[in-house]
Amino acid sequence: MIAFGGVRARLTASLVALVAVTAIVLGLSASWFVDLRLHDQTLQDAAAQARFDLSVVVPGRQLPDAPTLDDIDRSALAETFRQRGVETLVDLGPRGEFRSTSRLEGLLDRLPPDMPDRIDRGELAFAWVDVTGTPSLVIGGRPAGVDAAFFFVRDVSGLRAAVDQLRVALAAGGLILVLLSLVVARRIARGILAPVEEAGQVAERIERGDLSARVPVTTRDEFGAWAERFNAMTAALSDTIRRLEAAQQQNRRFVADVSHELRTPLTALVAEASIVAEHLEELPPESRRAAELLVGDVRRLRALVEELMELSRFDADAEEVEAEPVDLVRLVRAVIGARLPIARFVPPAPTVIADTDPRRLERILGNFLDNARDHAGGVDVDVTLEIGEEDLVIAVADRGPGVPPDRLDRIFERFARLDPSRDRGTGGSGLGLAIAAEHAALLGGYLQAIDRDGGGLRLELVLPSDVTGSLRDGDGSVIRAPDDGTPPSTTRERPS
Amino acid sequence: MDATILLVEDDPSIREVTAIGLRQAGFTVVTANDGRDGLDRFLAGAFDLVLLDIMLPRMDGLEVAREIRRTSTVPIVMLTARADTIDVVVGLEAGADDYVRKPFEVPELVARVRAAVRRMGRHPDDETAHLRLGPLVIDTAGRTVTRDGLEIALTRTEFDLLVELVRHAGQVLPRDTLLDRIWGYDYLGDSRLVDVAVGRLRAKVEPDPAAPELILTVRGAGYKAARQGAQ
Repeated sequence: MIAFGGVRARLTASLVALVAVTAIVLGLSASWFVDLRLHDQTLQDAAAQARFDLSVVVPGRQLPDAPTLDDIDRSALAETFRQRGVETLVDLGPRGEFRSTSRLEGLLDRLPPDMPDRIDRGELAFAWVDVTGTPSLVIGGRPAGVDAAFFFVRDVSGLRAAVDQLRVALAAGGLILVLLSLVVARRIARGILAPVEEAGQVAERIERGDLSARVPVTTRDEFGAWAERFNAMTAALSDTIRRLEAAQQQNRRFVADVSHELRTPLTALVAEASIVAEHLEELPPESRRAAELLVGDVRRLRALVEELMELSRFDADAEEVEAEPVDLVRLVRAVIGARLPIARFVPPAPTVIADTDPRRLERILGNFLDNARDHAGGVDVDVTLEIGEEDLVIAVADRGPGVPPDRLDRIFERFARLDPSRDRGTGGSGLGLAIAAEHAALLGGYLQAIDRDGGGLRLELVLPSDVTGSLRDGDGSVIRAPDDGTPPSTTRERPS
Repeated sequence: MDATILLVEDDPSIREVTAIGLRQAGFTVVTANDGRDGLDRFLAGAFDLVLLDIMLPRMDGLEVAREIRRTSTVPIVMLTARADTIDVVVGLEAGADDYVRKPFEVPELVARVRAAVRRMGRHPDDETAHLRLGPLVIDTAGRTVTRDGLEIALTRTEFDLLVELVRHAGQVLPRDTLLDRIWGYDYLGDSRLVDVAVGRLRAKVEPDPAAPELILTVRGAGYKAARQGAQ
């Protein structure tokens, strides 16, 4: 599963931020607008009331032209207004100041300076002020024919509370909106990224070798267009790969067919040459040399065809491992005896049992020995069998001309002839080590070539050591700890 | 060596040169160029050994081997193009005693044929006329094996293998030792021959071939016959 966390988180955050900003702007402007409207409405109502009071109610009380505090008190105007929730302050100029409640003391000083002037000019004036902690609306004006300025003080704390409530409601609503948007935004982000995730899975399938995998084209948007391009690319790639595979297949089949077709005439040739070889002495001298060459060339041709056939079986994956318990010491001795009897071999233990395919081991070791014989004259060849903790190494080391270090890797390639000037007569087909490498891979191991100190080449077959030690009881052999500290199960000694 | 060999091979060059080599070695050779012809000639004559190609026109070599085995225990050596286990197994299942892989050098083929013919002419052992292995009674003079009085039909190779194992009962015989003693291989041979032959022998003599009691496998070493009375 490919993680899309980064992009999805960024998309989600962006969407949520957008919703939050929108909610804040809308909330603020809504509360501002409502606040404004409410104040305006309150002011309008209060002004209309004040106008009515100044022109109708106050004159109706028959106040003298220059009323005193007592006149105002007696008129009971303040009680009338209080019943409507309005406190009253009457500025009588030099005659004093009437206040319906003591809270209004000092109010006049806190009114805007231009207010008295406008009132003196006969206008209504208003101001929003704080009266001992209570937000209030003050409207002032002069009644007709009375020398006094009336100030009506109205408690507007309800208005403030209403606006505050609205703000709380808006904030709560905004918060819910943001949380909701978080959930929705995650969904949306996932939806947008779904095609990307799907494409990732398809790419993974293609990576694993399923060239038929395609990204579904479900939309006609940018993703759809991209999916079409991606599919076109995959189709082109798989087409190329198929053509290459077919060509390679054809090539391999050709090699297999050629080697197979060569086999029948080769069988006749080998049989014929072997009879000629037995009668070389009876041939006249002039044709004897030619017959000798013929016999040698037929042998070379036979080796080449057989090795080509062997390789073509590997290429066709027709090879199977037939593992069985094998005594490696016995096997190495037998192969040396058959291929290069003068090679030295000192076994690490009398018996080393491994669960492996003996025919493939014979083939690998035989080809190693052939290589030592062909390129190092077969003298001074050491065969070793080393049992390590993790692997088991069978090595053939010679004292021949060796191989330049930069070309060591190439000696396991097919037809790897490292020295172009080398006489073709000295060697095998050039396929022996490539075949050995194929066998080694089939056994779960590998080959390596090492440049020896003091000259010469060391060829190693490295096998995982878990091939050893699976021998069941039954042959009377005893488990013996070897001298080199390897686990006792890897070597066994048969009692003599 | 005065022995007559039937050579069945369809390729004229291979047939001719093989016949030349065998005649030079002292054998009398009768040739046939397809499977049907080969079977007809076999039924019409007396042969000490049959050399049989597997891929033959009209009737393949395996079929010919099966037909021959209906009436005869003559040694059959197959000539095979491939040496995969399956080919070896199929060849031996059809009744062959040995196989030679193509291409072959004639002296190599002659050696294999000589070994098979020599085995055929081996004189019966007079000293120990009767051997026993569990319920089996082996008459080495008459070359018969019976269990509870009933004769078990074994090929020559199977019989020789059984006798060799029983003569060394309780002793492990490695595959290459058996190859050398039964098939006459004196070089690193193909031990699958031994495995296949032991498998066929078990199928005939073991009460339960899947859980052998008479002929035991010693992993990593070879085979042994159970010691008498110690089953």
